[in-house]
Amino acid sequence: MRSHSRRIATATAVLAVGALALAGCAKGGGGGAPSAAASQTPLENKAVSAITVGTAADSTGPAPEVAGAKPGGTANMIDRDDFSHLDPGRVYLNYNASVSLLFTRQLTNYKEDASGSIKLVGDLATDAGTTTDGGKTWKFTLKDGVKWQDGSAITSGDIKYSFERLFADFITEGPDYAETWLVPDPNKPFRDQYKGPYDGKELDTIETPDDKTVIFHLNAPHPDFNFTVAMTGYGAVPKAKDTKQKYDKQPFSSGPYQIVSHTTDKSLELERNPNWDKNTDPIRHAYPDKFHMEFGLQSQQSTERFLADTGADKQAFTFHNAVAPERVQEVLGNAEAMKRSIQGLTPFTTFYNINTKRVTDVNVRKAIITAWPAKQLQQIAGGEINSGKIATTVLSPTVLGYEASDLYGKLAKPEGDPEAAKKLLASSSTPTPTIVYAYNQTPTQEKITVAIKDALTKAGFNVVAKPLNPATYYDAIGPVDNQYDIYWGGWAADWPTGSTAIQPQFDGRLIADNAPNYTHLNVPEINTAIDQANTIADPTEAGKAWAAIDRKIMEQAAIVPEYYQTYFGLYGSGLGGVRFDPIQGEQSALDIWVK
Amino acid sequence: MTSFLVRRILGAIVILILISLITFYLFYALPRDPARAFCGKICRPETLTLIRHNLGMDEPLFVQYWHWLSGIFMGREFTQFGACPAPCLGYSFATQEPVFSAIVDRFPVTLSLTLGASVVILSFGILTGMLAAWKVGQPLDKIASSTSVIGASLQIYFVGPLVVFAVVDTLGLLPRPSYVPFTEDPLTWFVHLLIPWVVLSIIFTANYTRMTRSQMLEQLAEDYVRTARAKGMSGRSVFFRFAWRGAMIPIITIFGVDLATLLGGAIITEQTFTLHGIGELAVRAVQNTDLPMLLGVTVVGAAAIVFLNIVVDVLYAFIDPRVRLS
Amino acid sequence: MTTVSWSSEPGTSRGPEPFLSVRDLSVRFSTEDGVVHAVDGLSFDVEKGTTLGIVGESGSGKSVTNLTILGLHDPAHTEVDGEIWLEDQELVGAGASTLEKLRGNRVAMIFQDPLTSLSPFHTIGRQIGEVYRKHKGASKKEARDRAIEMLERVGIPQPATRVDHYPHEFSGGMRQRAMIAMALVCDPDLLIADEPTTALDVTVQAQILDLLKDLQQQFGTTIILITHDLGVVANTADNVLVMYAGRAAERGTVREVLSKPSHPYTWGLLSSMPRLTSSVDMPLVPVRGTPPSLLNRPAGCAFHPRCDFPQLVGSDLCFTQRPDISPENGHGDACYLTLQQKRDIRTGDTKEQA
Repeated sequence: MRSHSRRIATATAVLAVGALALAGCAKGGGGGAPSAAASQTPLENKAVSAITVGTAADSTGPAPEVAGAKPGGTANMIDRDDFSHLDPGRVYLNYNASVSLLFTRQLTNYKEDASGSIKLVGDLATDAGTTTDGGKTWKFTLKDGVKWQDGSAITSGDIKYSFERLFADFITEGPDYAETWLVPDPNKPFRDQYKGPYDGKELDTIETPDDKTVIFHLNAPHPDFNFTVAMTGYGAVPKAKDTKQKYDKQPFSSGPYQIVSHTTDKSLELERNPNWDKNTDPIRHAYPDKFHMEFGLQSQQSTERFLADTGADKQAFTFHNAVAPERVQEVLGNAEAMKRSIQGLTPFTTFYNINTKRVTDVNVRKAIITAWPAKQLQQIAGGEINSGKIATTVLSPTVLGYEASDLYGKLAKPEGDPEAAKKLLASSSTPTPTIVYAYNQTPTQEKITVAIKDALTKAGFNVVAKPLNPATYYDAIGPVDNQYDIYWGGWAADWPTGSTAIQPQFDGRLIADNAPNYTHLNVPEINTAIDQANTIADPTEAGKAWAAIDRKIMEQAAIVPEYYQTYFGLYGSGLGGVRFDPIQGEQSALDIWVK
Repeated sequence: MTSFLVRRILGAIVILILISLITFYLFYALPRDPARAFCGKICRPETLTLIRHNLGMDEPLFVQYWHWLSGIFMGREFTQFGACPAPCLGYSFATQEPVFSAIVDRFPVTLSLTLGASVVILSFGILTGMLAAWKVGQPLDKIASSTSVIGASLQIYFVGPLVVFAVVDTLGLLPRPSYVPFTEDPLTWFVHLLIPWVVLSIIFTANYTRMTRSQMLEQLAEDYVRTARAKGMSGRSVFFRFAWRGAMIPIITIFGVDLATLLGGAIITEQTFTLHGIGELAVRAVQNTDLPMLLGVTVVGAAAIVFLNIVVDVLYAFIDPRVRLS
Repeated sequence: MTTVSWSSEPGTSRGPEPFLSVRDLSVRFSTEDGVVHAVDGLSFDVEKGTTLGIVGESGSGKSVTNLTILGLHDPAHTEVDGEIWLEDQELVGAGASTLEKLRGNRVAMIFQDPLTSLSPFHTIGRQIGEVYRKHKGASKKEARDRAIEMLERVGIPQPATRVDHYPHEFSGGMRQRAMIAMALVCDPDLLIADEPTTALDVTVQAQILDLLKDLQQQFGTTIILITHDLGVVANTADNVLVMYAGRAAERGTVREVLSKPSHPYTWGLLSSMPRLTSSVDMPLVPVRGTPPSLLNRPAGCAFHPRCDFPQLVGSDLCFTQRPDISPENGHGDACYLTLQQKRDIRTGDTKEQA
């Protein structure tokens, strides 16, 4: 999933709209306001304790009741941005995915229990999918009683069609894993191999032997394909109601709510879908009768309104808006507001790429990590709540198989260890290496750069700081032969297994201009290990394999991990059941009820 | 008058075309690729090419511009969205809405905001300025003069939330600012826009108080005002009929210039109060690298300013017969 | 022309004859730099139907005097002492509404620069008509008709068209005619013309002065003509008052003052004026020095710093004692020189003493 990195964005001046709107994973132009830096008490950001694949029994509806919850009423949602896409095929951002859960169902989905553990369960399907050949062929059976908003049954043909239409030329924003895997040759553009269903051609790799059964024949084993289809991008779209481009404005509901009206950038009104049957749905409660969503509020404004907690704002929550950085201290000190607060660890991680094509000596790279002033940077960024927990691994704790490790003692000495770094440099080929650090030229990034320069210089590095225009940051660091040694980056796994977190970034065979392998790491051992991990059918075993790769990458010192990003938001006192969604990294609407 | 209007309107069209050309040029001069915004996380080159084609960006620049320009007068046909009747400003890259209807939809908000604020600025600013001039040197004059200095140094994004906090959240005197169409319910429209109007006009009003005061004092010292008094006109009629008229001329001139600033202020006000007007549209267009929206908003905004300036010029001629519109 | 008759008992109860009588008028402005004595103990009378020319340099107090008659001074910063009688009405202490009724009605005024003195925002007709409506309670239509009639009377061609024009559409002379029309619309008893021709071409000047004379003959209007130009006075006025530094320096009939000037300042004014009768070779002699600061008036005779003859007076009278005008009526002047001394100086054997 692509994270909508808004927290950083909101701190930017209203009109200074730099790079970050470009890609979900762009670091903001402004950085957090460092107002609350010094005396911040760390919040307890619980990592997801376990992600597992659930059983058919876990996949049956209804979802377990929320204590004290009652149906009825209108829940209000206030946020900064309107949902950029509602056509499931065009949804990638977590923000769009969060709302889509209310009216779009996928084959599988995530179910969180009271203990915080997450299971992948069948959503439209009776279970989380089955494979008998290690992930090359996947079979899903649809539940009885799943219907569209007009009462017609959701059939295997609809599911097949939903995948076929993703090949159409107007669907470019969503994920394209399945498309690449469903054509004969994964290495050729998938649109060259199938053009979509609009000219009447079908995709013969999806088989529908009956109205309830869908069988996917992939071109290679993908043991976590059942996680892939949990992405909103693979949500169901009915052939009969497909309005192509216009579908984005008025998707046809398969979930508990349907769209009454949507005024771009202003509001979205949802009402109950009478044809949704809670007995088919293991994850959605749909307590409120209606949702009223309003857009255009900066985090300053939503924080203000949540704190005021008056009128209709009492029944309001927000998907994405975090507490404004400058109000964090105030909120932390407000016991009443803290009762209405949500905290959690998002799947979003940030790090500094080390260009392994230029910094070839692993000891130099290790020395960089060892000397790195993680603590100082966190303080400049406004402390843990405004930035995140200091990271020490590639994988986020929200990923299946995550294993905590701290190879370079960053948790013991978060401010950097210049002496240890010097020793590492002494054993390297160049004891006083010159390092080119490229960064977004923004006020906060300037400060961060000074801190980095200081720390590295202390360890014996000769640091050259290279400011980049935030608007073209990714264009500057994109080329494989770029002239920089260290540059910031961010990533979030598209589904909580290691494959989408690690492969695109560290598979040396995927190095290309503007490709996500910004470290240009190409270690045959790691490439092979990725291929092996991709074939492990047992999710737990696969998790272990990815964690081992994570460790290998850290041994290669390809990145300086920065943060596991955190979320800290508020909601109104008139709502119950507002919880953090660790998959999307923001507030979840699924358990909400109106008091 | 007619020939004046014709000339001004022709001039305005030339200006608008120039503005659109410059916007168009600057957009492509930026090192940002709008296509990137429509590409998934792992953006494949072939996807990027497809998006560029979808957006019509694979055509030569002048062809793109010509399509855009001719669309305004003759409408356009889009393979993706179908017919777009004149005046067609294209479809937004980001929201895929017709730009024209998005602007039409939001125009009343910005118009209400700007016009309402203008009324507050002109009525309140001129009134206090005239009172200050009428009672020159007296406490009222001093209060008006000093508060106007304070007002001028306040900022919308600072005052706005404060006023909302005090008047809406704490005192509950007024509803939270929002936009209700005038045609739907004039009273609700009025009540919900009162805070934005006042906040937007604070900086300007102060300026107009000061200007009116000094202009009135200047006019009162003019020979023709003395003549009016020598004719036996009463102090009040000299003040309100003669001096006022002369004082209004520079004020209207300045107001014509301020209109553009006021529109700019409306953008910040919309952001501050979450009003969905043209300003918000403009900010989003920039954020989203949304060329059609950006062009549309820029040209419509410029057209509004040019049009209002023509109105100001006509008004100017109306007040001052020395200005001839021939 | 009527003969001059000066009040015999200045400063005391007045007889019925003078139409306007100014008694011991003092006007002081408070400014940031101090108190300005613009007019200081000035007295004069004007007979009904005559023209009084008031002559002096800028800052001599001639305009202030006349603004004070109409109460057009700024009351916040001005202090006025003395009396101004318009027939049996005292104006110095009169209320605002009394003065408003008077202005434009019984007493009218025309100013130096007709362009700036007319409102640029209203038509000529309206500006004339509104005076008429204000004082005579006329309707719009009547006021307009009256305005046309007045324009015709002051010699503006096509008055019915011109009535709807704005001042900027008129030429300078036309504007001053219109101004006069406006001043005369209510048939005032007294017309104060403050430098009415200064801003105009010489040929137009003469036309305007002729117009004023004609109108006076027709309607018997009393006129105060303020000017710095003795030539204008010579052709137009019956009596002359020469003012210097807020006080009367000399007064008398036109003939008396112009042919037998008796104050050194008047001599200066006359010798700085070209005459058709004198040789073109004769140099014009301006009054030397500059007008005194009214903030800080010279002690004694205010003219002494510019005067060539204080030593003829003997002792330090000119430097210490302020001269009053004498005799109290008829041709008088405020100078300590004896009649004989003045005659000697005038006959020309004084040059070496200069």
